[in-house]
Amino acid sequence: MKFISYKLGADGAETWGLVREDGVVDLAQHGPHKTLRAAIAAGDLEALGESGMLGDPDTVLPDVTFLPVITDPDKILCAGLNYKDHVTETANTLPTELQLFMRSTNTLVGHCGEMERPRVSDHYDFEGELTAIIGKGGRHISEADALDHVAGYTIFIDGSVRDYQKHSVTAGKNFYKSGPLGPWMVSADEIPDPATMELTTRLNGEVVQHSTTDMLLFSVPYIIAYISRFTPLEPGDVIATGTPSGVGARRTPPLWMKAGDRIEVEISKIGTLWADVVDE
Amino acid sequence: MQFVSYIGAGGATWGLVVGDGVVDLGARGPHGSLKAAIAAGELMEIGAAAQGESPDAALADIAYLPTISDPEQIFCAGKNYKDHVEEMGFEMPDHLTLFIKANSTLVPHRGTMIRPKVSECLDFEGEICAVIGRETRHVSEAEALDSIAGYTIMVDGSVRDFQKHSVTAGKNFVATGPLGPVMTTADEIPDPATLHVTTRLNGDVVQDCAADMLIFDIPYIISYLSKITPLQPGDVVATGSPAGSGAGREPLLWMKGGDKLEVEVSKIGTLAVDIVDEK
Repeated sequence: MKFISYKLGADGAETWGLVREDGVVDLAQHGPHKTLRAAIAAGDLEALGESGMLGDPDTVLPDVTFLPVITDPDKILCAGLNYKDHVTETANTLPTELQLFMRSTNTLVGHCGEMERPRVSDHYDFEGELTAIIGKGGRHISEADALDHVAGYTIFIDGSVRDYQKHSVTAGKNFYKSGPLGPWMVSADEIPDPATMELTTRLNGEVVQHSTTDMLLFSVPYIIAYISRFTPLEPGDVIATGTPSGVGARRTPPLWMKAGDRIEVEISKIGTLWADVVDE
Repeated sequence: MQFVSYIGAGGATWGLVVGDGVVDLGARGPHGSLKAAIAAGELMEIGAAAQGESPDAALADIAYLPTISDPEQIFCAGKNYKDHVEEMGFEMPDHLTLFIKANSTLVPHRGTMIRPKVSECLDFEGEICAVIGRETRHVSEAEALDSIAGYTIMVDGSVRDFQKHSVTAGKNFVATGPLGPVMTTADEIPDPATLHVTTRLNGDVVQDCAADMLIFDIPYIISYLSKITPLQPGDVVATGSPAGSGAGREPLLWMKGGDKLEVEVSKIGTLAVDIVDEK
């Protein structure tokens, strides 16, 4: 099942729902939960999704304004340098341990939204990423059990301001509205093995990244187990798994995103996330 | 004025420190939290009006909460005191180094800081923190201090072996970030470079430094952050820690269950916590 966070038009109330072939069912009307995160936390997602399969849809996809799939995550944790080919292109030695950074919620942007190229830099780069959404929270989760803690998968563009990233990763990765998240979350039952996905990033229609998720240096179960060693994972936490080669910073000449560009990331079994780049 | 977040008779609340007591401002309304009062721009007014009130509880009796218990963002400067950079063997930075702490790291004054199961390398870092007073975007250094509501203290608990993997991992162990005890309003600290930080572990002074030793000062940090993202009322900005941390000592000095850690900052107070081993 596919779940979205959305509002109707630009000014409608924020809600969430089930995406069907024939439209969208507003699941805030089917139960007490006002957000996708709340439904995940309550363990009610599957039952609400099934209830949403009955009856008529409330709206059609073209009428919704997408919000970041999880609008209010407790944490957004991201793996860096996690595809062998990307590590090689950035001239880093292969890491012996996972590299993590965090993003602030106000970096998030919805599907079909606008990424802001900041005023202070033109080194605005794309990174397409497979992203897990935590379903069942937990601490000290084993790798063997880790996938049982995933509610579903979505797509993230880890917009990176490369000159600031040289100061510190956190600076380069936390520019306002630099992180599109969506379009929807596909429930984990449809993706039993997240190492089998194919990822393609296109800038203005040209393929700039193409890889498969079996190329991850540290797998989704490893990342979840590792994070849970230092902090309790919470339902709705967003875990971006890193990006493959092809980023703009490693091209000659470098390829930076600019206003008017359209960036899109397609991942098999999930769909395509896109955003337009605008100047701050 | 000094404000505190704590658990009152009706649950989480906040108040004004008056003498040895606290006036419950959450109960008086309209704002249920210190962050909400800051965001409404009414903190100074509400505080001034409460000056004459008699306290609702003694400070000695209250259960503190982290000064801001639900900040939208916690940004921390790393490698920001010259003496700490030298003791850690880092190169002197050309640019500010930032990381984020999750809210799940926060611990209140008189709370317990957890030494994790997976590491013995839990280190202390006493830090001056600014609390943001209003939405702040692209502010100049000259105007940056006007964006600060007040100052508090953080222990930036650091798990050094995980920090070697990535700073974010080492700085985000659950319950390793005490924040408190109070926020002193910015009008009482016109120049935060005049503050002084003293950290004590089991009564022994382990860090002792003036904030004029910051490599990147508070106006610089606020201005820099505001180029990246709109800072929000109640955001917590930790400014880095001076020399003396356990990782820079020979032999290494790690905290363990039963230890008592205190960080005192002039004009703010003393943040004190107990260390417990994770079960």
